[in-house]
Amino acid sequence: MAPMQLELAMPWGRGTDPAVAALVGGYRGLPGVHDEMIDAEGRVRPHWLPVLSHLAGLGAVETATRFAGADRYLRESGVVYRVYGEGGDVDRPWPLAHLPIVLTEADWEKLAEGVVQRARLFEAVLGDLMGDATLVADGAVPAAIVAGNPEFLRPLAGVRPADGHHLHLYAADVSRAPDGRWWVLADRTQAPSGAGYAIENRIALSRVLPELFDSLGVERLGPFFQALRSGLVEASSRDDARVALFSPGPWNETYFEHAFLARCLGFQLVEGGDLVASSAGVSVRTVEGLEPVDVLLRRVDADFSDPLELNPGSRLGVPGLTEAVRAGRVVVANALGSGLVEAPALTGYLPGLARRLLGEQLLLPNVATWWCGEPAARATVLRNLQDLALAPAFGRSLPGILDSAGVLGARLSKADRERYVAKVERRGVDFVGREPLRLSTAPIFDKGRLAPRPFSIRIFVARTPTGWRAMPGGLARFSEREDARFLSMQRGGRSGDVWVIGTAPATRPEVRLLPEPDAAEIRRDGGILPARAADNLFWFGRYVERAETTLRLLRGLDGNDDGVVEISPDLARRIARLLVTWGAAEEDDDPVAESALWGDGSGSVASLVAEAHRTGAVVRDRLSPDAWRALIDLRDRLRDPDAAHRRDLFGEIEKALRTIAAIVGLAHENMNRREGWRFLDLGRRIERAIGLSRSARRFAEDGTDVDALDLLLDLADGRLTYRMRYLAGSARRPVLDLVLLDEANPRAVAFQVARIREHLAALPGRHGGIPDAADRIVARLTEILAASDPAIFDTTRIEAIVADLMALSDAVTTRCFGHASPVAAATDALEE
Amino acid sequence: MRYDISHVTVYDWGVPVPFADCRVRLTPVERPRQHVLTARLVLEPVAALAVDGLDFFGNHVLRTAFRVPHRRLTIRSTATVVVEPPPSLEPDPTPVWTAIREATARSRGLLPSDPVQFLFPSRRIALAPAVTAWTAESFPEGRTILAGALDLTRRIWEDFTYAPGETDVGTPLLDAFTARHGVCQDFAHVMIAGLRGLGLPAAYVGGYLRTVPPPGRERLEGADAMHAWVEVWCGATLGWLGFDPTNGIVAAEDHIVVAVGRDYSDVSPVSGVLVTTGAQGLSVAVDVVESPDPDAAEAPPQPVTTTGEPTGTRR
Repeated sequence: MAPMQLELAMPWGRGTDPAVAALVGGYRGLPGVHDEMIDAEGRVRPHWLPVLSHLAGLGAVETATRFAGADRYLRESGVVYRVYGEGGDVDRPWPLAHLPIVLTEADWEKLAEGVVQRARLFEAVLGDLMGDATLVADGAVPAAIVAGNPEFLRPLAGVRPADGHHLHLYAADVSRAPDGRWWVLADRTQAPSGAGYAIENRIALSRVLPELFDSLGVERLGPFFQALRSGLVEASSRDDARVALFSPGPWNETYFEHAFLARCLGFQLVEGGDLVASSAGVSVRTVEGLEPVDVLLRRVDADFSDPLELNPGSRLGVPGLTEAVRAGRVVVANALGSGLVEAPALTGYLPGLARRLLGEQLLLPNVATWWCGEPAARATVLRNLQDLALAPAFGRSLPGILDSAGVLGARLSKADRERYVAKVERRGVDFVGREPLRLSTAPIFDKGRLAPRPFSIRIFVARTPTGWRAMPGGLARFSEREDARFLSMQRGGRSGDVWVIGTAPATRPEVRLLPEPDAAEIRRDGGILPARAADNLFWFGRYVERAETTLRLLRGLDGNDDGVVEISPDLARRIARLLVTWGAAEEDDDPVAESALWGDGSGSVASLVAEAHRTGAVVRDRLSPDAWRALIDLRDRLRDPDAAHRRDLFGEIEKALRTIAAIVGLAHENMNRREGWRFLDLGRRIERAIGLSRSARRFAEDGTDVDALDLLLDLADGRLTYRMRYLAGSARRPVLDLVLLDEANPRAVAFQVARIREHLAALPGRHGGIPDAADRIVARLTEILAASDPAIFDTTRIEAIVADLMALSDAVTTRCFGHASPVAAATDALEE
Repeated sequence: MRYDISHVTVYDWGVPVPFADCRVRLTPVERPRQHVLTARLVLEPVAALAVDGLDFFGNHVLRTAFRVPHRRLTIRSTATVVVEPPPSLEPDPTPVWTAIREATARSRGLLPSDPVQFLFPSRRIALAPAVTAWTAESFPEGRTILAGALDLTRRIWEDFTYAPGETDVGTPLLDAFTARHGVCQDFAHVMIAGLRGLGLPAAYVGGYLRTVPPPGRERLEGADAMHAWVEVWCGATLGWLGFDPTNGIVAAEDHIVVAVGRDYSDVSPVSGVLVTTGAQGLSVAVDVVESPDPDAAEAPPQPVTTTGEPTGTRR
C-alpha cells in the first residue's frame, strides 16, 4: 500500500477517516505544552497523517505484530544498555518507542542550522578559553566559570589540538517551548553518546515498516556516518590515518554502542590497556607488536584518560596521552578538555558570545539560566527561587548539598529553602538558577493506544571535510511519566527514532542505511587483535578447560559409567589429594566434592567459572551471545546453589559438564577461525595437556590399580577406544599410551601438543621467523611424546612435561601479549 | 635567610621494575621573597628521558621515563635558597573577608596565581559542610581576612593533635577533621577546605621548614621532613600570605616553598606510573641548614654533582 495514495484518498478533515480518528481518538495534549502530533485545537498536524494513516490501515493486530518484530530485532542484535544497580550491573534490553517523531524538512533545517551554529560557537569558545582566554580578561566570561569547572584540565591549558579543532562530534538535547520554538536543554561536547543507538532504532523501525519508510522518503542516516568517518580520518595529517574508538570498556553503560559504532565506522575498538602513549605518539599493543594510531574517537571522559597527568585514580586511561596530545602526535576527538563548555554556568553567556565570536544572533535559545557567582544574577535567583530550579553550576552534583538534577524552588520546605539561600549566598559560584523545564510531548504507543509523553531529542552534528553536518533525525527519548522532567536512560524511559520527511518523497533517491563503501571494511579479514584481548581469550580458554577437567575428576568420585558404583576408599583419597593440590578444596574438607564444586577455593569449579566469566567479559564482543548467556547461567547456578542442587551434587556436576560442552561448542561454531579463536583454543589445549599429564602422574604411577587407570581413561574420554583395542582390562602401559602418546585421541596429550604446534605456526609475533622459547618447548615436547614405549613415562618424566607446558604458557604470554600482562599502578603520591 | 637543602628519596621496589614514568617536583620555585641560587636534581639510575619544565602553577616538574629494569630509584635534590622576611602586617592592611569573597567570584584573572584557581574543590579537598561551619567561627561579620586566617591557624594548632603515623597521604580530610588529629598535610587540607567552603581562595604549599633543635641537643642529620602549609589570598595589594596551622604561626623566613597547588595532588614530590608487583620501600632524608653569607665565606657552597655520594649536611 502506498502512503501517497492514502494521503490523496484520505485528506485529513474532521471525521473523514474513521480509522485514523479512532487511532487518535482519545489523545489529549497536556495543558500549556506543545505537542508534536496535534495542534492546540486538537487537530492532527498534516505531516503526521501518512504515518497515522498507514498504521490505521495496518490495523491494531498487524501494528502490534510489526512493533514486536522491531523489539525482537533489537533483542536479537544484542542492543542493550547497562544499568548500574544494587546486586550488580545488568544489561537491559533497549526500550523502543515504536512511533517515530515526525519532523518536516523545513522545521528540521532550521533546527539543524541552530545546532550547527552552536557547534561553531563552542569550537570558538574552547579555542579561546583553552588558549589565551581573552574572553576572561575582557570580562565576557567570568574567570570562576573556567577555573571552577572540573573539565578545565590544567595540564592542557594553552595546548592547541594537533588538527586545530576541539570538537568533531557535538550533540544538543532539544525540546520545544510551549510556543513551538525549539530550545536547548543541554549541550554534549565531551563525548556525545547515542548516535549508535539512533542507528539501531532506525534499523529496527525501517525493517518492520518498510513500505511506509520508503514511500515517505525519510532522510537516511548512512551518509552522516560516512561523513563523520571521513572527518575523523582527515583530521590527521597522515594520508592513511588510523582511527580507533577509545572506550572505557565493557562495564560502561553504553559499551554496546562503542562496539557497534566501531564496527559501523570500520574503526578499531580499543581500551586504555590496549594503548601506549608518549611524546612520540600513541600505539595499540597488538599480537603483532605496536601499531601506531593517529586519531582517537574518545568515549572515555577526559579526566580519566591519563592517570599520569590527569586523574591518577583512573584505570581506564593511557599514561602519557596528555604528553602525546601536547606533542601534537595524536588527534583526540573530541579533544581533552572539550567538556568545559557543557557547564550550565556558561549558558547565560552564550547569546553574548555568539554575537562577539560569530557576529550572529544565537539561533536556538537555552532555558533561561543565571549563574549565581554574579551578584545581580544571584539576587534575581534568590528573589524568584519559588519559580526557579536550583542546579549545580558545572553539571556535577555538589556532594552533600545538591545532586546533578537540582531542586525545584517550589518544592522546598521553608527550612530547606533558607538553607539553600545561605549556601548560595556563601558560594554562589557553585550554583545556577534556571527556569524549570517544560518538555513538549509526542505520542507513544502505550497499551495499544496513543498517549502523549514528554520527550527530548538528541541532535548530532559532525565535523566533516566540507564543514559541519547534521545527522538527519536523532535519538528521541521519552519520559515514562506524563509529568516527569527529562532524565537519562539510567532512570528508565524509552528511546525512539526521528523521521525527517521531505515535501516530495517519491523523488528521493534510495540510499542504503549503512555506508556501502565502508561496509566492506567492517568485516575485513584479519583485523588487528589487541594483545589484551588475545590475552583474555587465552585465559578464558584456560579457565573453561580447567573447570571441565576439575568437573571430570569430581565425577570420578561417583564411580564410573559402566555401573560399577562404588569406588575404593584409596582412589577417593587420591582424587581428594589431587583436588587439594589443584586448590579446589582444603585438606580437611569433608565432603571434598562439595567444596571443590561450590567452595571459594581458587581452584573450585565455582571460582574457575567466575574467572572464565571475568576474563570473558573483557572480550565479550568476540564471544557468541549464546555462549555468553550459558556461561552467566552456569556462574549464577554455581554461586548460589539451592537446597535441591546441594542434594543432587553429581547431577549438578553432569549439568555443569553439559553446559561447558555447549559453551565450548558455541565458541567453536560461532567464532570465525582467526587469531581470536586461535588464542582461545591455545589456552584450552595447554590447560588440557597440563590437566591430563597431572592426572596421569597421579593415577598411573607405578603399582597403581585398575580403578585408578579406569578413572584416567574416563578423564581422557578413552574408555570406549580402549575396550575396542584391548581385550584385557586396564593396564598401565596401554592406558598411558592412549592418554599421553596417541595423536589420534583428541584428549591425549600428544594430540594437544600437535594442535599447539599448529597454532604457534599460524600466530604472529615471532621475529623474522626465528624460533622462540615457545617453539623450542613445543619441539621438545613433540619429540618426547613421539616415544614408542609408554613405560618410560615415570613420575619424573611426566613432571617434566608439566613443567614444559607451564613454561610454554609463559612463552606464549611473552611472545604475543608483550607488555599487556603486568599491572600498571598509577599514583599521585609514591609515598603511599 | 639563606639555606642549603638536601633531600634524598630512595625507593626500593623489591623486584626489578621494567618501566616507570615519574613526575618529580622537588626543585624549589622562584617567587616573590624567595630566590633560588642553585638547584640540582640527580637520578639514579639515569632516566631514559628527563625533561625539565613548569607545570600549570609554575612549579618545576621533571618528567622522567625509566625503561631499564631497576630495583631501586634514588632521587637527590639539592638547592641553595634565600628567603626574605614577609611584609609588616601591623597595622592590619587587609580587607574584610567578605570583600575577598566577592572580589574572587567576580575576578577576571585566570592566571595560575590568580585567586580563582584556588576557590573550588580539588582532588583531595572536597568541601564539607561540617568543616565550613567550624571555620565560619573564625570569620564573624566585619573581620579582616588576615585576622580571620590568623584565628583559624591558631584554632587548628590548639584543637588538633599532632599525631604522626595516625594518618597518611590518602587519609580523607574529613577523617582528620573528625578525629582532630593528623600531620601538616591534614591540617593544611582541613584549613583550605574550610576557607574555600566560605568562598575564600586558599592554596596548598609544599616545602621545608628550618627546624631548630631542642636546647642542648645537636641537629640530627636527615631528620627533617617536607612540610606543608597554607596560603590565603589577602586582596590585590598584599596578595598571598602563608599560614602554618601545624605550628600556629605565619609562614615567614623559616618556610621554604618547593611547590604550590590546590592540594597535595598538585605538589606531590614524586608521582607516576610504574609496572610492579612488589612492595615498595621508601626512605627520605631531608636536611635544611642555614648557609653562611657567601660574601663572608671563602667559597660558595658546592652543589652535589655526582651520584653515590654520602648524604647529609655539608658543614
